[in-house]
Amino acid sequence: MNYKQFKKIKALTASFIAATVAIAVVYNNILLAIAGVSIGILFLFLVRKKTKAVLEDERIQSIGGRAARLTYAILTATIAFLSLIFIGTGRQTGEDGYELLGVILSYITLFSLALYSLSYKYISKKYGESDDEQD
Amino acid sequence: MENRTTNKIKVYRAMHNMTQEELAGKAGVTRQTIIAIEKNKYVPSLELAFRITRIFGETVENVFQYRK
Repeated sequence: MNYKQFKKIKALTASFIAATVAIAVVYNNILLAIAGVSIGILFLFLVRKKTKAVLEDERIQSIGGRAARLTYAILTATIAFLSLIFIGTGRQTGEDGYELLGVILSYITLFSLALYSLSYKYISKKYGESDDEQD
Repeated sequence: MENRTTNKIKVYRAMHNMTQEELAGKAGVTRQTIIAIEKNKYVPSLELAFRITRIFGETVENVFQYRK
């Protein structure tokens, strides 16, 4: 199996998962959704293991890293902005629900920042960053 | 940042009568990566550059060039 065939199978599996989840939502059946997602993930895992073609290389990893960083930056900024709006709205209207939601979103932002810092430090150490000065 | 690295992979591939798919298989990368390197859209790591040049039996300096 080559890379193109794998991409086709991946797209088909994603369609299968999406269809199963959609049907599960219509029939209000959580078990069907769990089963669909589990089968899809397991199937892709097995196909990935069986295929001998190179599916991931340094360019794909680099793209993935950049995309993840961009997603993180946009998502964190959006959540932080929304939290401020909710807190402001809550204080203006006097409804506790809005303010609570804003506070929860603020904590999610902080958690996201902390997680990023920790994973950055861990990966940076893995790739040789050190405070020790060398001669 | 401007990409200052160019390469002659296409030339060496033609000299060795090798397709992009074959080179990708030997270098352990996808064909898309070889295409991106040939078009100077992606600069490979030093390790991949060594792997590619060894396939052609050349040195890195012969296959990759750096413009000042």
